[in-house]
Amino acid sequence: MKRSPLSLIVVAFVVALMLYFGYHQARHPGAASARLTNFSVAPDFSLEVLGGNTMRLSDLRGKAVMLNFWATWCGPCKIEMPWFVDLQKQYGSQGLQIVGVAMDDASKEDIAKFAKDMGVNYPILIGKEAVGEQYGGVNALPETFLIGRDGKIVDRIIGLEGKAEIEESIKRALNTQPASSRASAAEKTSLQQ
Amino acid sequence: MTTHQEKPLNAKTRSARRLRVQLTVIFLTAATLASAQTPGKAPTLTIAPVPVTTTPRAVATMVNLDFRVPPGYHINSNTPKSEFLIPTALKMDLPTDIVLGKIEYPVGEDRAFPFSPDEKLSVYSGDFTIAVAVHPLHSVVPGKYEMRGVLRYQACDNAACYPPKNLPVSFEVKVVKEPPAHHANPAQSPHAH
Repeated sequence: MKRSPLSLIVVAFVVALMLYFGYHQARHPGAASARLTNFSVAPDFSLEVLGGNTMRLSDLRGKAVMLNFWATWCGPCKIEMPWFVDLQKQYGSQGLQIVGVAMDDASKEDIAKFAKDMGVNYPILIGKEAVGEQYGGVNALPETFLIGRDGKIVDRIIGLEGKAEIEESIKRALNTQPASSRASAAEKTSLQQ
Repeated sequence: MTTHQEKPLNAKTRSARRLRVQLTVIFLTAATLASAQTPGKAPTLTIAPVPVTTTPRAVATMVNLDFRVPPGYHINSNTPKSEFLIPTALKMDLPTDIVLGKIEYPVGEDRAFPFSPDEKLSVYSGDFTIAVAVHPLHSVVPGKYEMRGVLRYQACDNAACYPPKNLPVSFEVKVVKEPPAHHANPAQSPHAH
């Protein structure tokens, strides 16, 4: 049977396409991990802190904030948490504040037990769907937002990424300037003129 | 004569048709591969159509439910290895006088993931079957009955996890009269002398 060259080209194209996707997926097991950057101001919210108090995001203005949405049923979240404990220890004195937001149906007791088992050294907030919606839905966990000292989102990480990549984002958030100091710098410049 | 003139036209038509089919295959392949893992999008399990099961009254009959997990994702088995993980569970709501028997879940596959290299998880991926025993009581009026329920599952890929979801499940059972009880003891046969 004689095959037309066009058919062969089409078949080769399909095979090449499948190989490309297969290779791409094999190289990036975390294909769902996507990095998006948004330079808008992080939406403010007020949530209950595990233990009783309430925390408002705007109270942390002036600090670099790493806002991590997670859940007790999320395996990748469990990998990140010990990294966050280390990063909080390492960069806390430079102005980093990691904040965990539990997007969980589990009881507060279960969340507290999980956090204790993981040795968490940063505040855990009891998440609400409405807050997730403010941050674009938070459909996949973990989802982490790096917020600069000026309150603007520096980076958004969906899914599990390496500790080194997260550390890079933290450094970028720490390198931002608080809005007030930027305003006073601008004031100084205008006075000098 | 006419037949001879038509031949090249038919060949052309066939070739064009073949090309159309091949292009459709390419499109579907590409679409499937592209939708297999969309960052931040929760995957949806599917259930194969369940043929009507005929069962006599007072007899328990197994019904197989075939589910499919989209490529690139996995869900926890019915017996995950951590108390915090959400097990896959079928909940049925049966009509009165039809009793739900045992639900047989497949054994989970023990797999390590990039986010859990040292700790194997018990998961389902690809196709899996859950068998449900339905047991119509003596009192059931013969006829067709719809069984409804939900499969609760929580999916992850290699880098992220998605909130728990409920997949509606329904199938039909045709209840017939139980076969007449036959007397196996020949000693009691009226023909025995």
